[in-house]
Amino acid sequence: MQLVAQIVLNGVLLGGFYACMALGFSIVWGVMNMVNLAYGSMIMVGAYVTQLAVLHVGLPLAIALPMAALATFMLGYALQRGLLNRLAERSVFMTLIFTFGLNMALINLNLLLFSADVRSLPDVFGRASFTIAGLSVPYSRATIFAVAMAMTLGLHALLNWTPLGNAIKATSFDPDAARLSGIDVPHVYALTFAIGGAIAGVTGALVATSYSFSPFAGESYTMKAFVVVVLGGLGSIPGAIIGGILLGVVENLASLFLDSGYRDAVGFALLLVVLVLRPRGLMGRRFFAEVKG
Amino acid sequence: MTASALLARWANGPWAGSLRSAAIAAVLMAILMVLPPFLSLYWLRLLTSVLMLAVIAQGMNAMAGFVGYPAFGNVVFFGIGAYGTALAIAAGFGMAPALLVGAVPAATLALAVGPLLLRLRGHYFAIATLGLNEVVSALAANLSGLTGGAAGLSLPLGAGTASDAAQRAYFGFVALFAASLALGIFLRDSRFGYGCRAIRSNEEAAEATGVATLRVKSIAWMLSALLTAVAGGLYARWVGFIEPSLVFDMAISVKAFVMFLLGGAGTVFGPLIGSLLIESATTLAWSHLLKLHLLVLGVTIMLVVLVLPDGAQGFVARHWPTVRAWWRPRS
Amino acid sequence: MLSVRGLSAGYGGLVAIRSVDLEVKAGEWLALLGPVGAGKSTLLGVLAGLLAARHGEVRLDGEDIRLLPPHRRLRLGVALVPEGRRLFSGMTVRENLMAGTHALPDPTMRRRNLDRVCELFPVLAERTRQIAGTLSGGEQQMCAIGRALMASPRLLIIDEVTLGLAPLVVESLFAALARLHEQGMTLLTVEQNVPLVLAHADRGCVLSGGAIVMEGPAAVLRDDPDLPRHFIGF
Repeated sequence: MQLVAQIVLNGVLLGGFYACMALGFSIVWGVMNMVNLAYGSMIMVGAYVTQLAVLHVGLPLAIALPMAALATFMLGYALQRGLLNRLAERSVFMTLIFTFGLNMALINLNLLLFSADVRSLPDVFGRASFTIAGLSVPYSRATIFAVAMAMTLGLHALLNWTPLGNAIKATSFDPDAARLSGIDVPHVYALTFAIGGAIAGVTGALVATSYSFSPFAGESYTMKAFVVVVLGGLGSIPGAIIGGILLGVVENLASLFLDSGYRDAVGFALLLVVLVLRPRGLMGRRFFAEVKG
Repeated sequence: MTASALLARWANGPWAGSLRSAAIAAVLMAILMVLPPFLSLYWLRLLTSVLMLAVIAQGMNAMAGFVGYPAFGNVVFFGIGAYGTALAIAAGFGMAPALLVGAVPAATLALAVGPLLLRLRGHYFAIATLGLNEVVSALAANLSGLTGGAAGLSLPLGAGTASDAAQRAYFGFVALFAASLALGIFLRDSRFGYGCRAIRSNEEAAEATGVATLRVKSIAWMLSALLTAVAGGLYARWVGFIEPSLVFDMAISVKAFVMFLLGGAGTVFGPLIGSLLIESATTLAWSHLLKLHLLVLGVTIMLVVLVLPDGAQGFVARHWPTVRAWWRPRS
Repeated sequence: MLSVRGLSAGYGGLVAIRSVDLEVKAGEWLALLGPVGAGKSTLLGVLAGLLAARHGEVRLDGEDIRLLPPHRRLRLGVALVPEGRRLFSGMTVRENLMAGTHALPDPTMRRRNLDRVCELFPVLAERTRQIAGTLSGGEQQMCAIGRALMASPRLLIIDEVTLGLAPLVVESLFAALARLHEQGMTLLTVEQNVPLVLAHADRGCVLSGGAIVMEGPAAVLRDDPDLPRHFIGF
């Protein structure tokens, strides 16, 4: 029983991380109807920038993390304003293919700049842990969870309490009406994508601290983000949290019974079950976006 | 009736389009059949690859181009076909029965899972098919007793020299390619295909006008699965070694997707055009720009989407008047 | 204030409006009338910047605004309330109104404009926290008009003021519009309810089959026997 509780706790901590990661993916999909297949590579960019900053420039993690976020924010803004805006509100297929091509280009760039070596940051948090109710919580996981939750709250605050958030939500409901209301929609799209990028950057920084990564590792993060968003329901912050935690817990519980090779597949199996039973996801109700097809 | 009158009747009757395409296909087939003696092993292999991808692209085209359902996980059928055929050959079956062993489970899966997944649209359908692929891929990787697991499966060598094997693979794919063209013509010109296109443009309206949408979608997916699975089976025989990460690779599906888009969605020859263009680009990039080949491909794909939203055929169709005017200037 | 010359526009191969000339003088209320499909929404779409014109020009105070996107036109004072309200249905009334303030040059005007809108439409003040999608038709229309007013426009264009609304609501809406007009707002309204709008407007013009077929002072148009002819397709 103790073991199960520990595993569930690990799953919840992991799930918080997954949730935060998925938000960057979800906001772009929800607002612009764009599934960004290059999301994982943007996370990798964040990881690399963090690693550069910490290892080569010697900055503390607390500074490196916002740097990574800023880098990916700018990358996202430039990409959207420069390229993707031409595709906004175009067909679903086209943006999928486009972001797939973008992903290939980004992977190659990461390869060129950083080589194919698998990297990670040396133990930033150490292996220490503390205990709650008899369960062990590594500092690293706890910190990641805390940062992830902080980001989630930050996004919630941005969307609901700031004029920019107002503009983003309005655009997600009806871009033409938003234009008529005085919102500069292309600029909003660019900022939304940039915010998604920034979240990817933070995620990347967190990845760098605890996992190993390489230019090709991004794929799996994109897929997990996809799964979390579909599980929790598009355009819903609470949905992303629930979806993320559900995925984390299910993945961890499954490792009790199945080989580790099935880990990712379990998430997908869960995805299939949810899609067949309740396509809108667990939260169903849209929060900042229409459930577009 | 004279031959020319008959010909005129065919050329203008309701089947004219199909016959024209069939004629073009026949010419293509003839060319493909006589090419091998003139090609070195390298070019033969390249052409075989082009044909294989054209077939997979046609399978994608059937679902995404004609019916409008982006089956990104279609590669699952390729993998099932590859493993089924490989296992059958290892068990001593001949080629034809082995292909069946690969194709039938694939078609069955499509028919079984179709009613569940085809209720989803757009991105959701895409991710569902990807999920399906991941699950089957994980099974293939972990049921080592059956499939050899993640380390893969080797096939016993076929009879004859490497050159013989290459030719056999080539002709196998030529035949399959012919079948894919037939499927394309069927989808484009038949009533069934009309139903597919109706679903793509407005599913609710299609439903309202009496199209049995679920049945049409399921059958289309099954046909797509069959085609893709046989390609997988032939592939397994061709390369002699398969592993899950190779034959269940999502990149194959997406590449196929880009190919038919580039060549022209919902057309008969689009997949071939797209495959020719992309495979050539890939091979060129690989041989000359190894370190940059992903970048080149990625940028090409992005450019294609930006510049050619209707694909190559659409581009040509739109600019044909200009080209003709330039070619034959008014005096 | 707003002058349109030789405007043609359409969608794809279809030409919806052909060589339209129109003038809206500062401070006046122009009623744009016409049967369904005449091209009224197309014309408004071009004026607002959602649709590109094929030929012709659109000038605001003499300046050509054809290339400006909608949010820039709003900054210059041209606001459009689109047909069907097009509120942000999942957001509250207050959020909807605030969505109209992004083009305001001075953010401190937000509070002031909100008060003015609530004064004009008291029912909105009561329902600020209500989700816009749950409002009644009349309340939604008020919210939509309010949203446009939040940007302090000089020219308010409304596509189909009263479509689908109950008579009592219609009356109060027109009363509100009349108040705005008295306060100096220039209005261009597209409206199916001909007698009602001609009773309030200064001038009217009839758009039919993509071209202006009648125009003149509202009082004159009201009594013109030829007027009904344009609404029943012959």
